[in-house]
Amino acid sequence: MDAKPTVSGLNLTRIFGSGMIKTMALRQASLDLYPGEMALIKGPSGSGKSTLLAALSGLLRPDSGQVMLLGENLWQLSERDRKRFRLLHCGFIFQGYNLFPALTARQQLEMVLRWGMGTSRRRARLQAEEMLQLLGLGGKMHLRPGQLSGGEQQRVAIGRALVKGATVCFADEPTGALDWGHGQQVIELLRAAAHQSGSTILVVGHDARIIPFADRVFHMEDGCLSELASAPGRLLRNVS
Amino acid sequence: MSYSLSTLWHERNRFLPGILAVAFSALLIVVQGGLLLGIFSMFAMPIDRSAADLWVAYPGTRSVDLGLPIPLAWQARLARQPEVERIEPYVHGTVLWGKRGSAVESCSVIGSRLNGEALGAVRDLTPELRSRLREPGAIVVDESELEDLGIKGVGDVAEVEGYRVRVVGLVRGLKGIAGAYIFCSLTTARALLRLRQDEVTFLLARCRNPDDARAVVDRLRAYETMSAFTSHELSLRSQLQWLTKTKAGIAMGCAVLLGLIVGAAVTSQTLYAATAAARREYAVLEALGIPTWRTCALVLTQSFWVGLFGIGLALPACLGAAQIIGALGARILIPTWLLGCAAALTMVVALLSGLVSLRSLHLAQPVALLR
Repeated sequence: MDAKPTVSGLNLTRIFGSGMIKTMALRQASLDLYPGEMALIKGPSGSGKSTLLAALSGLLRPDSGQVMLLGENLWQLSERDRKRFRLLHCGFIFQGYNLFPALTARQQLEMVLRWGMGTSRRRARLQAEEMLQLLGLGGKMHLRPGQLSGGEQQRVAIGRALVKGATVCFADEPTGALDWGHGQQVIELLRAAAHQSGSTILVVGHDARIIPFADRVFHMEDGCLSELASAPGRLLRNVS
Repeated sequence: MSYSLSTLWHERNRFLPGILAVAFSALLIVVQGGLLLGIFSMFAMPIDRSAADLWVAYPGTRSVDLGLPIPLAWQARLARQPEVERIEPYVHGTVLWGKRGSAVESCSVIGSRLNGEALGAVRDLTPELRSRLREPGAIVVDESELEDLGIKGVGDVAEVEGYRVRVVGLVRGLKGIAGAYIFCSLTTARALLRLRQDEVTFLLARCRNPDDARAVVDRLRAYETMSAFTSHELSLRSQLQWLTKTKAGIAMGCAVLLGLIVGAAVTSQTLYAATAAARREYAVLEALGIPTWRTCALVLTQSFWVGLFGIGLALPACLGAAQIIGALGARILIPTWLLGCAAALTMVVALLSGLVSLRSLHLAQPVALLR
């Protein structure tokens, strides 16, 4: 691949606990992710997938190793600069949708634009509406989370992660709380976001049904990361 | 609608205890303060219901009911002040009321001129009552004091300091706090208080322009052997004398403090619980890099709305409580400044509670959202 990696993790190690109850969540994990691709890290529960995502995204400091995000050595930045970096470049999607119950779908996105990017009220409203239209929620943008299905809520969460123009998006078990019908919609949306906007999407999950949609697939076991030789998603992309 | 207001409305059941706590605090402050003001205004009633602009008294007089005899001849000092229009003698002192077949009762005697424009006569004395009071030994009391004084009504007689008095009329709303007020003529008052004809306890004056009273009082203070006050000064001085003497201010302060503590405890717990309940949503904002001050501002704005709604709820409650307390016969005064102070204090409490509840934001850790 000619392009420079947007996400690069090198020899990442993270240990939880100490002494007899010491757990090595990451063992010299390394990976490079490129623009426009959706990568999947799969593996059993407790294998260290989420810890790797946290280390790569600047949420959890690794004990050793290096994370380069868009050419920036993430863990050498100050806490404040790292947060600023996340604001400008990173999006997050979690298994629990974590939407504010009192706010409408549009307000959830507006809040990020107005508070994070300093976007004007009018502009934020337009951008939020555009994003929700793209996500197929044009007719439901005035509804609150309690009035939306799980899949729709997760789509709002995706909108919240992407609306500020994130270059890298981290998704932790984004389909974990959804039936496969809705889960597939969510994964297809993430994949489309990667391919159409050139973002890098890193998905962590243990649902094997996601594999066909990923451009690259990594497997995690006992803190060790390995990449599968070929991913169906890449083939699909090449075909399309 | 702002995000904080939307949240407050959507989760109104969660925020209601905080709003009620703020309202309770404000209500407690206003009712306690209003009752205290009502009680102490009773000490200053003879001043507040007179038409005098300034009062001259014995040196160092601390309250209107603690006046000592002064020479009537000091009228000349007042007469020399060009701003003074009228001067009148006034007698105010304490006597023991002989109650039929039981203990004696302490009473405040108020003797003044009784003509229509008299400065010292309380305005509640009608021309007819003033006419009846001209008779020696004639007195008027508040109708609520009849039982305490052991008299049946108008026409009844009693003995005060060995002097026979007769009730010639009744007034309403002039109940004394330390003892009943006995309204009478100067002649009767002097007899009851055993003052000489050339003695009074106060000299009252009215200025052509009431605004000149301050300057006249300042000038009269050059006389070291007497005290001079504007009506407002003596009223305040009388109330403060009783406030400090009875330590009622401390009692009120304690009650207000208790109300504020209860309000603060409930409000801060409510806001803390509401913030903690939204910790996962706040954690997402933290992960997305939204500045922490934005989240803090959201919580503080919620505390502001809780305070505002609590105060809004307290306002009609205070007015309702005042009506009920008044109907029960107690005196309660709720001036605008008291409402303002209560609103400001409870708003500060609500905002401080919001600040305290910010500590729950440390629960909003993005890494905790990862499975």
